[in-house]
Amino acid sequence: MIIYNIFTKYFYFLNNISSPITEIKNSLGPNDLPYQIPIHPNLVHLTIGLFAIGIAFDFAGALYPFEKRILRFLAFPVTRVGFHDVGWYNILAASFITFFTVATGFFEMLLAVPIENVKSIIGQGAITTMLWHGVGGVLILFILITMTIWRGYQRFVFRKDFGRQVSWAYLFSGTIILLVMGLHGSLGAWLASDFGVHITADQLLVNGLELDNYLQ
Amino acid sequence: MSLLPELNEKNLPWIDVIHPIIVHFVIAMTLIAVVFDIIGILKKRSNLFEVSFLNLIVATIAIFVAIIFGQIEAGLANPYGSSKDILNYHSTIGWSLAAILSIITGWRYVSRQNNPNNLSIGFLFVDIILAFLVCVQVYLGDKLVWIYGLHTVPVVNAIRDGVI
Repeated sequence: MIIYNIFTKYFYFLNNISSPITEIKNSLGPNDLPYQIPIHPNLVHLTIGLFAIGIAFDFAGALYPFEKRILRFLAFPVTRVGFHDVGWYNILAASFITFFTVATGFFEMLLAVPIENVKSIIGQGAITTMLWHGVGGVLILFILITMTIWRGYQRFVFRKDFGRQVSWAYLFSGTIILLVMGLHGSLGAWLASDFGVHITADQLLVNGLELDNYLQ
Repeated sequence: MSLLPELNEKNLPWIDVIHPIIVHFVIAMTLIAVVFDIIGILKKRSNLFEVSFLNLIVATIAIFVAIIFGQIEAGLANPYGSSKDILNYHSTIGWSLAAILSIITGWRYVSRQNNPNNLSIGFLFVDIILAFLVCVQVYLGDKLVWIYGLHTVPVVNAIRDGVI
């Protein structure tokens, strides 16, 4: 009896708990956002693109002695410094932008209403996926900044007088981080494609509303 | 018996949509190239022109790969309602952007052969048009995913059940 009472009380709280989203629910669109299209996924293009290509060009600079002949054969005049410049400025830009990527990510995560009773391809539920994606995002921001500082020290201090501006350890770390980013990005992609977070059509379908009334 | 692989719950022959992944490199590289061009001119830093040129080359290669996957995934998308029109615009601008990017990168290559430390104002003008076109294209693609939910599980299910 006591246990039963505790249970009903507990579930009462779970069902009637007031969360920020229920308070402002009326001012949000059918996608649970105050605007049509989520911002975070757009900034993600910049974070991933800039970091990946930054590392790729540092590889190109590091392996320059091997590709020199091919580039000369193609009559494509590039310098090693040019490749490393792309590596440096791209990662610098990636770090700058990722602050906004993570900030908008958290804003949109607070307003997320994932579809219930769905499991992702690796068997995670919506909340688990979202928490991993949120914590992972902060970690990746931290790692990106660390990598940028490391890259800056190599460019201006450690390897200032070297032709190869980056150490193999840096390139190796970059590769590992890209793999982690790929997994992390997949979690984010599943939040959209499987859990329907912030997708108007998915939210309308799940709530049993007519698509025609909202989608013109 | 079909020679083609079976389609999954997202109506795709592979786990997730690939087009948006490749598109990272088109969007990020063109937009940052424009930003570096502008900073390069304002701060008179000609090594940034080299950075934007190499980023443009990546974007130009990536856009063709993006189009290949985009066309396959568009063919499997089953657009409904107005998303049909949006998908048509998105495809048309996509192919046009491939041509435009190739021409711009070619122009850049030639002007770089002449003088790598200089960037004409005409090019900057084209840069801004390019950035605008990319933004329009991103907006259309965003609509297909975030409003119409193409290739997401609930929409694919609804289409298969004949609800939409």
